[in-house]
Amino acid sequence: MRLIARCLFAVAVVVCMAGGAVAQTADDFFNPDVLQRVDMWMHSTDWDKLKAAFQENTYYPADVTWNGQTVYNVGIRSRGLGSRSGTKPGLRVDVDRYSKDLTFLGLKSFVLDNLTQDKSGVRETVAMRFFTRMGIPTPRETHTRLYVNGNYAGLYALVESVDKTMMGRVFGSIGDNVQNDGYLFEYNYVIGRPWRFEYEGSALGPYKQSFDIKTNESKGDSAIWGPIEELVRLVNSTAAASFQQTVGARLDLPAFVRYIAVQNFVAQNDGFNGYDGMNNFYFYRLENSTSHVFIAWDEDNAFLSPDFQITTRLGDNVLTRNTLQVPAFNSQYYSVLLEAATSASDWLQQETQRQLGMIAAAMQEDTLKPYSNAEHAADRDTMLAFAPARVTYVRCEVAKVVGTTLPAGCS
Amino acid sequence: MRKFLLTAIVVLVSAAGAAAQDKRGLVWDDRPTIVFAEDVTLGIRGRLQLDWRQFEPDIEEDTFDLRTARIGIQGDLTRHFSYEMEREIDREGTFGDWKDVYLNWKTFDRIRLKGGRFKMPFGLEQNTGPTETDFAYRSLASTLIAPGRDRGAMIYGELGRLVYEAGIFDDDGANAELEEERFVLEGEDLEGVGPSFAGRVQADLLRALPVPNRLKGANFGFAYTNAYVPEGLNSLKGEAVWGADFFERVYVKGRRQRMGAQFDWTPGPTGLKAEWMQSREQRLNQSNRNEDLSDFITSGWYVSGTWFITGEDKDDNINPRQPLFQGGIGAVELGVRFDELGLRSASTEGTAFTNPRADYQVPNSDRVWTFGVSWMPIRRVRVVTNAIYETFEDTSRTPIPGTSSFWSGLVRLQLVF
Repeated sequence: MRLIARCLFAVAVVVCMAGGAVAQTADDFFNPDVLQRVDMWMHSTDWDKLKAAFQENTYYPADVTWNGQTVYNVGIRSRGLGSRSGTKPGLRVDVDRYSKDLTFLGLKSFVLDNLTQDKSGVRETVAMRFFTRMGIPTPRETHTRLYVNGNYAGLYALVESVDKTMMGRVFGSIGDNVQNDGYLFEYNYVIGRPWRFEYEGSALGPYKQSFDIKTNESKGDSAIWGPIEELVRLVNSTAAASFQQTVGARLDLPAFVRYIAVQNFVAQNDGFNGYDGMNNFYFYRLENSTSHVFIAWDEDNAFLSPDFQITTRLGDNVLTRNTLQVPAFNSQYYSVLLEAATSASDWLQQETQRQLGMIAAAMQEDTLKPYSNAEHAADRDTMLAFAPARVTYVRCEVAKVVGTTLPAGCS
Repeated sequence: MRKFLLTAIVVLVSAAGAAAQDKRGLVWDDRPTIVFAEDVTLGIRGRLQLDWRQFEPDIEEDTFDLRTARIGIQGDLTRHFSYEMEREIDREGTFGDWKDVYLNWKTFDRIRLKGGRFKMPFGLEQNTGPTETDFAYRSLASTLIAPGRDRGAMIYGELGRLVYEAGIFDDDGANAELEEERFVLEGEDLEGVGPSFAGRVQADLLRALPVPNRLKGANFGFAYTNAYVPEGLNSLKGEAVWGADFFERVYVKGRRQRMGAQFDWTPGPTGLKAEWMQSREQRLNQSNRNEDLSDFITSGWYVSGTWFITGEDKDDNINPRQPLFQGGIGAVELGVRFDELGLRSASTEGTAFTNPRADYQVPNSDRVWTFGVSWMPIRRVRVVTNAIYETFEDTSRTPIPGTSSFWSGLVRLQLVF
């Protein structure tokens, strides 16, 4: 009898221990409520060379450990445009770089954003959470302390890669078919050639340069970029009366209007209607479809100022201008701004506060960031002041544009 | 190029006229040679190889290739010394790399000395000149594992039926040299490979045994090299017949050892050759965590057979028995060779990766069939036709990723004097 009791006790202990070891997922990895810790192990020479040649995209092998799980021999390279740094490099981690079937928590890659252009440390992550809240396809993000070879390498944003895995997550499945076999493009901002969706001619070269293909790379140029040339041509040549029907078959126009409205709400000055043409987005042609959607990317220039005009550059970009000439979409644009103001009214400041609190110690200890703790503190205050002021400003400005009664607090 | 051809023709014509005269001045002694005195000579030699090539599928290589254009001198300085200097000529007709540049002390058969730049004593095919090989291209192992030329000094000689060679060299051979530019940190001292040691023994091992006479001429050889390789992407690499990488260099540090065995048997008009060679490179402190990795191993071998259907003796310096325009068609030789080059790590534990610091490397190999017909209408002129079939183990690392097998062919016109 005593033996049976011992056996039962042992079984109970094993079951309890097993129950505690819940399998971890990509959701846990990108859990925005947790400041993660990622350890990276690289040959000391490789880390030195990556930092010294930070303008190059040379890959180096590394082992990565998170929460007791290690993935070996991933590929790491420096990344970014203006954020590239030899002191605190932004990093792209390609899990399958050296073994094509290798994944980590189901991910083939992820990004370690060095936050060098974001003194608050939370612009990018707060903006992305808000985009998600507003129903826009957005990568998952959180913060992490990064350690390289046991040494603290700074506070980073942990960002989901926009790739086939993410397309599967965002667009789900139809039956057993995961909807991630469409054509995914990263918009390539060409320095010195600001582009605002003007028609560039029938040759595919300019579109090929601007839309960097990320899936279906082996397909022919006409299959990849032909539909983009067609879309740009139609956007530029279709009359307002037939715009919705003609262009709407090739671009999810309501989703586009929502995207630019939310981007305006967060006062993103370097987005689709950016100060130097279009920038910072992915573009996805849905599987077995002619329709495209925009995917948010790199919002660390958001929250420029609470009085960022709600009509900023709406007339500059051909796609924006022609879409908003359609009354239904013009009306939708302002509705989404109001919806964003409502959604942000309490949540945005609380979320900003929460994230700032979560990263406070890690930010203070980060001696590799290109700004001081005092500068961080100043930007933190700016960020905290943004939400209430922006909500009021947007509500007032929308009322002025659409001609409704001004809410309280308008000047 | 035109200058080179013109010079070659002038020298050939003037030397041919003097061939039958007394042994002073410009004479024809196997090649145009200036004889200054007894045992003081200066011979002029030249080699030219022009290739026309086809690829299936197309791998975007040029159809025409000036494979070899060299000019050089060789001769004797008294009966004690000989010398050789040879230099590449590039497509523009200007001088390129130096090839052989050495002085040879040859007073005794048992002990001789050679100093300068010349081929390290490793590899039967590698130590056969490009115009004397049985096929248009050497096997992959001979090209990539065997070290090739280097600066150094070598002692060699014949002890009875044993031929020995042993030398010390500056680096570890031109074939192992890095061609890629390397990123160097500020203040980082870029160490060179080497010095290296190389040695080889060859003997007709069956001569003393009770075997049929035909077999007694079979020659066997064994070779070894040892060098220090500094930290970096300095390993040997896998390169397909036409130059595409199928295994990129990995990080190594420590000793590089090569071992090789060779077999050469040429009964009558036929020839049978085989070689096996292997390189093992240490990877000390080269893991992602600065720990030791298992050795990196490059192995290769080939076996080839040739047959002069026109009956010439394979052992001789090939001279058509019935040259073209003299009642015959020249010499015609058929040949076939199978060769393989493979690269891998000693460790095969866990998951294999293609990363240059992985302990377990995803192996890859290239297997090559070469079918050849060589036609020597007259002495010094050779037309080589080869059909080459390559297959790769890892289809993601081939000249066209995703395609595992490739046909190619070439016709080569070769002139030598």
